[in-house]
Amino acid sequence: MNATDTRPDPRFVHPALFYRSDAEYLAALVPFVTEGLAREQPVAVAVPGERLDLLRDALGDTARHVTMLDMAEEGRNPGRIIARVLRGFADARAGGHVRIVGEPIWASRSDAEYPACAQHEALINAAFTGRDVTILCPYDTSALDATAIADARQTHPVVWEADRRYASDQYAPDRVVARYNAPLPDAADRAFPVSRPADVSPARRFAADRARRAGLPEERLADLELIAGELVTNSLQHTSGPCRLGVWAEDGHLVCEVRDGGRLTDPLAGRRPPEAGRASGLGLLLVNDLADLVRVHTSADGTTVRVLLRLR
Amino acid sequence: MRSSGLVLHTRDLGRHDHVCWSYDDRADVGLRVAEFLLDGLTRGQQVLYVGHGDAEGLVAAVHRVDGIEAALATGAARVTSLDALYPGGGLVDPEVQLRAYSAATEQAVAAGYRGLRVAAEATPLVRSRAQLTAFLHYEHLVDQYMAGHPFSALCAYDRTRLSEQALEQLASVHPSANLPGVGFRLHASARPGHSAELSGEIDMFNREVLEQVLDRARPPTRDGRLVLDGSDLTFIDHRGLIGLDEYARSRGTTLVLRTEFPGAARIAGLLDLPGVRVEPVP
Repeated sequence: MNATDTRPDPRFVHPALFYRSDAEYLAALVPFVTEGLAREQPVAVAVPGERLDLLRDALGDTARHVTMLDMAEEGRNPGRIIARVLRGFADARAGGHVRIVGEPIWASRSDAEYPACAQHEALINAAFTGRDVTILCPYDTSALDATAIADARQTHPVVWEADRRYASDQYAPDRVVARYNAPLPDAADRAFPVSRPADVSPARRFAADRARRAGLPEERLADLELIAGELVTNSLQHTSGPCRLGVWAEDGHLVCEVRDGGRLTDPLAGRRPPEAGRASGLGLLLVNDLADLVRVHTSADGTTVRVLLRLR
Repeated sequence: MRSSGLVLHTRDLGRHDHVCWSYDDRADVGLRVAEFLLDGLTRGQQVLYVGHGDAEGLVAAVHRVDGIEAALATGAARVTSLDALYPGGGLVDPEVQLRAYSAATEQAVAAGYRGLRVAAEATPLVRSRAQLTAFLHYEHLVDQYMAGHPFSALCAYDRTRLSEQALEQLASVHPSANLPGVGFRLHASARPGHSAELSGEIDMFNREVLEQVLDRARPPTRDGRLVLDGSDLTFIDHRGLIGLDEYARSRGTTLVLRTEFPGAARIAGLLDLPGVRVEPVP
């Protein structure tokens, strides 16, 4: 899966910003925002809540002109950040250069979330090639581990530090996508087999029944039914064989997983915004919208899509 | 209260019921028709059988109904030939057909009956595409009429002579049917202010049937909008909602879907569907 052209892009700029303190954070981001506004460029800031408050305070009155989004909510599932946060903002303001601060990785991201976050950072490059956008991604080097920083050097063509800016000689985003494309151990105690259209409605009911018993809040049952339906329908549509649906509770989440024999060849599947008049490809996007986390493993032997919904 | 859902026999159906009965055994459907008509006579309704053949053959078709001869003599029971009703192959004019049955219902009530009950062999009326299109619109119009008037009907379809697709569409526009069908039904709503009721489940595998059925049944608009009562709609995915959106826009109207399934509003909020508005059930 070589999704990314690694030559410099004249229009799309994608730096990682390494910061060690609030002061360094603001010293880099406040000018980034105000310079953008001074050039009449649309500016969005999507960072986790407490960082958002910090930046809002520092920007003062200027914050009114900036789209401020809580990444911990909007980008809770990193799989929807490209379509819904980044392109959601940039596509609506096409015609000139757009500036976005996007901070999808923070220290309390779980081990289950992190691989999807790193893949998301890598895929931004393929998703924005040739687009007139700067996406600046802050990394808190005082709190993140060495792996996250090393990965950031692979997923960003440029690195900004407090006192210098340089091209990353590690830049290789496709390697990050591949590295985190790791097998997901099969943990379903009983999987529901789906081999034909008539199995899909019973599969949704199986998922809802399991989820209800696992304690998924009533108001999220419809989300789960939609997710289970989209996943098994996708498998039936895009692979020649049957698939298996598993639903169980694990580490405070409800897991809904579908395993099939196909291979997912499009790394941006489910990460493109909806287009008017195009109904295909919406299934995985909606799964990303409804889920708290989506993990994927795909190989010549088959594909597993694992969706997590918070139980509390 | 009207029956709705899967029916396994034709007894105990009410004054407003509308049943799709598909059969592959002529003897069996004869029994079902007899059962349905006898039930009507017992309830004081005027009954009418519409079928193939001449007068003699039609009477023979209902000979199993107890007391049919006396009922035929008093006019409580009547038989009519399809060939007489639809000379020249039978492309139904939905409005004309509806007026005929509403007049017959009024006459039955005026004559002291508790309503009109019809068992009709409808297979010859839905053989071609054009016939099916006209007939599905008629089925929907007459269903709207039945919901508010003492008119009940059993529509018999020979499944050995119809495609599975045609049968699915026919079953889905009846509130009751003897086949599990396609997973959804579109028929008159018992709740005022609605264009029709849409119930069941809609997904990838039946959204095209829904689009065809909507296109052919053509439910009436209410104050310029198509208002669907989805209080018994238990599932609809993005494909179903996109289908409703496309239908609404092709008709130059807005479709309001009232449903308790919270997923409908979730999906509508995530996609740009200018033709559809999802509202919670009031």
